[in-house]
Amino acid sequence: MTEHTHPRQTPPSDPPEEPATCSYCGEKFVDEQLLALHRGIEHEPRLSEAEADAYRAARDAEREDVRLFRLKALAALLFIYFGFIFVYAFVV
Amino acid sequence: MTARRRLAFTLVGVLLGVVGTAGAHGAGLASASGRSLAVPTWLFLLTGGGVIGASFLLASFVTDRAFIRRVHGWRRAVALPALRVLTGVGRVVGVVGLLFVLVVGFVGPQESLYNAAILVVWAGWWSGYAMTTYLVGNTWPVLNPWRSIATVLPSLDRPYPDRLDAWPSVVGLLALIWLEVVSPVADQPRFLASIVAGYTVITLAGAVVFGEETWFETVDPVSRVFRYFGRVAPLYADDGVSVRLPGAGLSEAKLVTSRAEVAFVVAVLWVTTYDGLVATPLWRRYAVAVVEGGVPPNLLYAAALVVGYLVFLGIYRAAAKASKRRARTYVPVEDLAYRFAPPLVAIAAGYHVAHFLGYFLELSPTLLGTLTAPLSPPEPVALLLPAWFGGLELSFVILGHLLAIWVAHAAAYDIFPGKLQAIRSQYATTAAMVCYTIVSLWIVSQPYAVPPYVS
Repeated sequence: MTEHTHPRQTPPSDPPEEPATCSYCGEKFVDEQLLALHRGIEHEPRLSEAEADAYRAARDAEREDVRLFRLKALAALLFIYFGFIFVYAFVV
Repeated sequence: MTARRRLAFTLVGVLLGVVGTAGAHGAGLASASGRSLAVPTWLFLLTGGGVIGASFLLASFVTDRAFIRRVHGWRRAVALPALRVLTGVGRVVGVVGLLFVLVVGFVGPQESLYNAAILVVWAGWWSGYAMTTYLVGNTWPVLNPWRSIATVLPSLDRPYPDRLDAWPSVVGLLALIWLEVVSPVADQPRFLASIVAGYTVITLAGAVVFGEETWFETVDPVSRVFRYFGRVAPLYADDGVSVRLPGAGLSEAKLVTSRAEVAFVVAVLWVTTYDGLVATPLWRRYAVAVVEGGVPPNLLYAAALVVGYLVFLGIYRAAAKASKRRARTYVPVEDLAYRFAPPLVAIAAGYHVAHFLGYFLELSPTLLGTLTAPLSPPEPVALLLPAWFGGLELSFVILGHLLAIWVAHAAAYDIFPGKLQAIRSQYATTAAMVCYTIVSLWIVSQPYAVPPYVS
């Protein structure tokens, strides 16, 4: 994505009272963490010190979330795998 | 599929001496049902769905943005010798091919398996050539005979009404498939040649009125299908020829940019499904019941085509809405629909291989035979495919879906700043894909039943 303004934006079904808005391109987000990530990904060369810090903090927080998600995904994979093994053992 | 698929069906039937027995070894795909695995159908379908779900989970482990961008951004220039000469030869081959189909269709032998026009169009072009557009690269802009002819015709350059957008190509695609299913386009060479002549008149008239580029880039459904298919392919034109990873062309932002283009991609997916659906025993039973209830058969086929298409559009729209809800994003539903439409092309391509590879191989000796002597063709020869071939075809359905999941994953990472947000946005589309895999595997595994009431 290049830097451009986002004229067409529609709120999600459960919008926050005040969306977090990017001061560089006007794109809106439901929370500050997503905004911080967006700024870091799309506008990295122009970030202020505080914004860069916010980006790093948001990335750290996200890393934790992703780790948790991976555990859940692994559990789901194992469930699918063993589920099929059991079904095949009984049916075939 | 009907008329066209009946061709291979008849071919094998002639050789086995069992023409018309639906239980016999049918067209390419019907042989898939001959798999005598001890796995019951429901478990086989469920496994297909499970593979798609599991691959979504596996893709979700790849969360490194830079890596995803590198994979999709990988490009190399390919040095093709004498590109200009190749282009010139391609244009000549295209135009000569068109004339060949028209002449042989009208004056050649009138039995389908002895007529080179029928075989060139269905086995050569719509099966074999179409496969090259997504496996190798889209060469249609060069080969397209109508485009080559249109470049030398004068143009009125009337402005094309913007609000029509890609809608004429959507209607055109549905109309062509309807014609293929209900009419004898693969049985009667003269009828096929008349249809090709009609298409030639409409296409050239359109290109003259609106200008060659507008017509072939916007209106012509065939060019559009091949252009989208070409996005799956590793080779593409870019100041010469370049190579990329298969499917990498689908995750670019500018591929689908309007409602009408989304509708076209969904139509490509739906017509491949419809084509197979009307050749299943279930459809046969249903159609017989409905027609005996007093509904005219032609209306039934058209209505099923339109209703099924609307159902597919509805499911896609619902998936895009669910994607917005799950991702909690301010990106409009339309934009999400634009970005997540191109992966469907990969599914359609996978399904196309599954449908046509066997068909193409079975008919190719006959095609070559009639090409060498179009006016006094030799006896048809069939290539009998081994039993495991059905399994190979089914694996292409799965492969197409895997590619689609990966492309959608990359597109989601391009749209959303949050990694989990990107993954969540794919829940609904993945659920739809799991269902679609199950349906398409079911269709592919069904024995071929000649669709009733079509000539």
